[in-house]
Amino acid sequence: MNKIQQTIFSAWMLGGLLALGTTQSLQAAALVQVEVFPPEVNLETLRDRQSLIVQATYADGVTKDVTEQAKFVPENPALVKLQDSTLYPAQDGKTTIRVQFEGNTVEVPVSVKKAKQDRPISFRLDVMPVFTKSGCNMGSCHGAARGKDGFRLSLFGFDPEGDHFRLTREINGRRINLALPEESLLMEKAIGSVPHTGGKLFGKESELYTEIVRWLSMGAPNDSGEVAELVGLELYPLEAVMQGRGTTQDLTVRATYSDGTNRDVTHLSYFMTNNENSVAVDQAGIMQAGERGEAFVTARFMTMTIGIPIIVLPENAELEFPNLPQNNYIDELVDQKLKKLRIAPSELADDETFLRRVSIDLVGQLPTVEEYRAFIDNPAPNKRRQLIDELIERPEFVDIWVMKWSELLTVRSVRNRVSYKAMLLYNNWLKDQISNNVPVSEMVIELLSAEGSIFDNPPVNFYHVERDRLKIAENVAQVFMGMRLQCAQCHNHPFDRWTMDDYYSFAAFFSQIGRKNGEDPRETIYYNRRSGGQRHPVTNEVMKPRYLGGDLAEFENGEDYRANLAHWLASPENPYFAKNISNIAWAHFFGRGIIDEVDDVRVTNPPSNGPLLETLGEKFAESNYDFKQLVRDICNSRTYQLSTQANATNSTDETNFSKAKIRRIRAEVLLDCLDQVTKSPSKFRGLPLGARAVEIADGSTSTYFLQTFGRASRETVCSCEVKMEPNLSQALHLLNGSTVSSNIVRGKVVSDALKEKQDPKQILETIYLRALCRKPSVDEVAAFNQMLAEKGANHQQILEDIFWAVLNSREFIFNH
Amino acid sequence: MKRSGCSGFQQLAASRRDFLQVGAIGGLGLTLGNFFQMRQAQADIKDYKSVEGTAKSVISIYLPGGMAHQETFDPKPIAPIEYRGPLKAIKTNVEGVYFGEYLQKTAQIADKLTVIRSMTHGEAAHERGTHNMFTGYRPSPALKYPSMGSIVAHEFGPRKDLPPYVCIPNQPNEFAGTGYLSSSYGPFSLGSDPASKGFTVRDLSLPGGINEDRFARRRSILDTVNSHFRSREEADALDAMDSFYQRAYSMISSKDAREAFDIDKEDKKTREQYGMNQAGQRLLMARRLVESGVRFVNLTYGGWDMHQRIESGMKRWVPDLDRAFAALIQDLSQRGMLDETLVVISSEFGRTPKINPQAGRDHWPKVFSVVMAGGGIKGGMVYGSSDPTAAEPEENAVTVEDWASTVYDRLGIVADKELMAPGDRPIEIIDGGKPIKDIMV
Repeated sequence: MNKIQQTIFSAWMLGGLLALGTTQSLQAAALVQVEVFPPEVNLETLRDRQSLIVQATYADGVTKDVTEQAKFVPENPALVKLQDSTLYPAQDGKTTIRVQFEGNTVEVPVSVKKAKQDRPISFRLDVMPVFTKSGCNMGSCHGAARGKDGFRLSLFGFDPEGDHFRLTREINGRRINLALPEESLLMEKAIGSVPHTGGKLFGKESELYTEIVRWLSMGAPNDSGEVAELVGLELYPLEAVMQGRGTTQDLTVRATYSDGTNRDVTHLSYFMTNNENSVAVDQAGIMQAGERGEAFVTARFMTMTIGIPIIVLPENAELEFPNLPQNNYIDELVDQKLKKLRIAPSELADDETFLRRVSIDLVGQLPTVEEYRAFIDNPAPNKRRQLIDELIERPEFVDIWVMKWSELLTVRSVRNRVSYKAMLLYNNWLKDQISNNVPVSEMVIELLSAEGSIFDNPPVNFYHVERDRLKIAENVAQVFMGMRLQCAQCHNHPFDRWTMDDYYSFAAFFSQIGRKNGEDPRETIYYNRRSGGQRHPVTNEVMKPRYLGGDLAEFENGEDYRANLAHWLASPENPYFAKNISNIAWAHFFGRGIIDEVDDVRVTNPPSNGPLLETLGEKFAESNYDFKQLVRDICNSRTYQLSTQANATNSTDETNFSKAKIRRIRAEVLLDCLDQVTKSPSKFRGLPLGARAVEIADGSTSTYFLQTFGRASRETVCSCEVKMEPNLSQALHLLNGSTVSSNIVRGKVVSDALKEKQDPKQILETIYLRALCRKPSVDEVAAFNQMLAEKGANHQQILEDIFWAVLNSREFIFNH
Repeated sequence: MKRSGCSGFQQLAASRRDFLQVGAIGGLGLTLGNFFQMRQAQADIKDYKSVEGTAKSVISIYLPGGMAHQETFDPKPIAPIEYRGPLKAIKTNVEGVYFGEYLQKTAQIADKLTVIRSMTHGEAAHERGTHNMFTGYRPSPALKYPSMGSIVAHEFGPRKDLPPYVCIPNQPNEFAGTGYLSSSYGPFSLGSDPASKGFTVRDLSLPGGINEDRFARRRSILDTVNSHFRSREEADALDAMDSFYQRAYSMISSKDAREAFDIDKEDKKTREQYGMNQAGQRLLMARRLVESGVRFVNLTYGGWDMHQRIESGMKRWVPDLDRAFAALIQDLSQRGMLDETLVVISSEFGRTPKINPQAGRDHWPKVFSVVMAGGGIKGGMVYGSSDPTAAEPEENAVTVEDWASTVYDRLGIVADKELMAPGDRPIEIIDGGKPIKDIMV
């Protein structure tokens, strides 16, 4: 691939450009694209309007808001009025606006309908958004469960009917004054002309004010008949790379409704940033760049929130992006983002490091001395690919992913509820699926549609380990879509798109699960009751099952709701499934998800690299959910094989995968590695001596070591159950505890070798190769030889102490 | 304890430092890359040296789930029955101050306590409320905040070979951790309950057959192995592991430090005075630890999420706590340690004013109570009040920031001090709280 020419604005150049407002392009990167947002405009009814944004993208990836510099030329000026960059309807018809900037022209189709007609005011469409925009219905204000200072609005407007009642009739004559709308308490509080705990929210000149007054003067009507529902929200531009402190970029927000209309709702949207240090945004929708960094800027309108990623670069950010090989699509997409950030990835990790890393990650074991030699001496240029293929086919690869899935599915015995037998059968079923590399979609469909006895059909245990059907719905969303829906059980999710309607329509899929006892007292049978429904606690309506973020489900006669859901869930129709599984796999190999935490997918927690996650999901779906292929793609990428050592540009990068992350080895694998190198197997409940900790089927089985190093107890589906932070107890245990000291003695690695008359130097090298996958360094050899050469030195003790030290070393405890 | 609620609830617009303030730092014309920016920011951040204050240590008793204030420290005996709840109010040894009926012994030491009855915040989900009380901040998706214990560890470091921050029996939740600070400021967890039979803290002594000389050799070999890796790799987790090894070495080599964890060294009478149960032995262990040098002890006790049948819930958990807490305060006082040991009872929120149809109370963060004693806090004081139905603060509302600043003030930490978070972002220990001068000695 050709090196991309990085040309840079120097600080004074940029200043000069801004000051002159001209188009000097000497030294500046070339303009490569001009875009206008929204790409087409529909104006309908008298009060409609649409603001346009013009964004220029330069060859170095930097974008600029050039709306003010651009020229807008309507083809037919009679149809639209143009004020600055906002279009207003004048006359019905279709036309085009030509937007011109530095020799580029973009055509924006415009359609105007009912230009002379006024749209009647709507409580839901015009009034409710004002409460969200001004923050009236936030949880800390009137949106609290009991309201505030005697007045309550539903949180983020989840109950318009109730809000209308409380405004107009709860205390007759108090809150609104239809004769003199401007003297309504509602209006006086809002503009702060009477004392208001929330202070002044807007002024009399504001559009928010005039809209409510207009509603009041029309008699504060409630909506009658069908009201168009909000079905989509667009936020423009789609992304931005802002260069230089103080640079600004306008935003525009457009809502689309179920009747096919759309509206510019910029003035009714609530804007937020997740990193004010880098990007500040005001309530007019203008972003301003600050410190170098990344931010995610969101707009909330009614029940929906949408966000865009923004990168901020300092004025003098320059980088010759190195010309690097790209092993596959992962590297292309990672590098694409890194280029925008002016970050160069680290070097490739050396063969020894790679061998140790990939062995721990893929099979949870350290390479043996023989494996080490075979790999290092292998002259094949594609030996890393060969190794990955070999490791993926080993049975230990299956154990790792059975363990991961057992965490997601909370496989554990629970006294008096989930018997050991049921748990074991469940675990064995998982093992079967994964060792046969059953497409993940098929596995999930079988799991979620399962019915019958928990003994005869083990995947039924999914409904046995958790029986509360709301909780089941929440778990399904969290495990298979990465979403935490819990908030929407009681009110619209405040920082995601999910409403209570969404929640209960999704929970409805699990409303017909029947349960009866089997013959064995430990046995339970689950079946389709073919009746029953899920009521919405506010409206008391029985909810029709609706796919989360999708359509109403259509059932064939007698079809099990769950089976129907399962087929949607594990299909490309569901935009979250493939991405979520890919992200879970990614996080295993990188120590961090592209969305992190992997089960906290929400609008306000965006992926650090959106295109990368999209593509991983697409490829995974295209491969028919072939999990091994996904893992192969990840491990073969150069990105996975990078060194942990930072360079001058990526030392502070933690989120863009520009270097490998040093990760403490997770509890089970660390214990297995300790047992492996000391040849001293552990015994776990229910497993034969020599079985490994990753094979423990039951979440309720644990040991002090596993607990201290953060094994998941599998009580919840949360990814946060596995803990990776180091702590003092871990240090004490490795220093003094039985796991290291006794293992060394018990396993006799040193004493046996001495009995075989091996040279101490050779034993030293073996210890290093077994545990650290490298030979001891010159300094280390020198230091230890001196100890061994001392008069009367006890070779066994010294070598065992070296072994002890190696197992206590950071290099051993961490994967790097 | 099972948690319900909205774990994904995350507010985006964190109440963060003013953008302009950060802007002003960099606005001096220096745009010579990260390095200089960092230097500049470090020079300009609000930095104060923490000097030990009146409180030399803290025992923080945290009641997970949300303790009902109505049944404990803020009874409403004359409210209508659906607000008052099932329990009676009893007199304390402070004129005009009443507690819930199960706080018999605590009522007799009320003259040593300050009860804040006007704590308030806006987070009604367990995780978010807990985050508030452990960190002094509202949760933010952009930044993980450190817990108070970790801040104390960061500001003062270890004392007498003991870890500065200890959790009894375990780290209770993720917010009790180090947030944006290095994980080396994380808590040491006992790992098991001091009330359980045969309780010991594991791995404090050298393994059999290893004497101090041999251990010294092992350490020196370990240094050699580590130095190879250290010269190549850098990561916070590695530094943290290093510092835990250092801390472990000092604990292993100090008899006093090891004995601090040995509850059997207490005489039987004292143990029984605290109560031979979870509450008693945890509080007693806390006293042993602060006496020996631990700076911040966090202990959790009970399950307070009483959505159903609050009466039996209170009956189950309060009496043991009552006995242990009164014993702790008296014990500290007799040993002359109360003036320098700040004891706090807190919880993520209070509970709804009205009893619900399941005879319980639901989450209520708008007003709840926090108890403080010793360490330079006045005795016999009630600060702030809730309204007649215990629904909103009536007087002297205390925010989480105010309360946390008060704790820090007593410890000698200026809460306005800025620490450096990743990305060279200076973050105040507490953003904007005012220490409550009225309750300070």
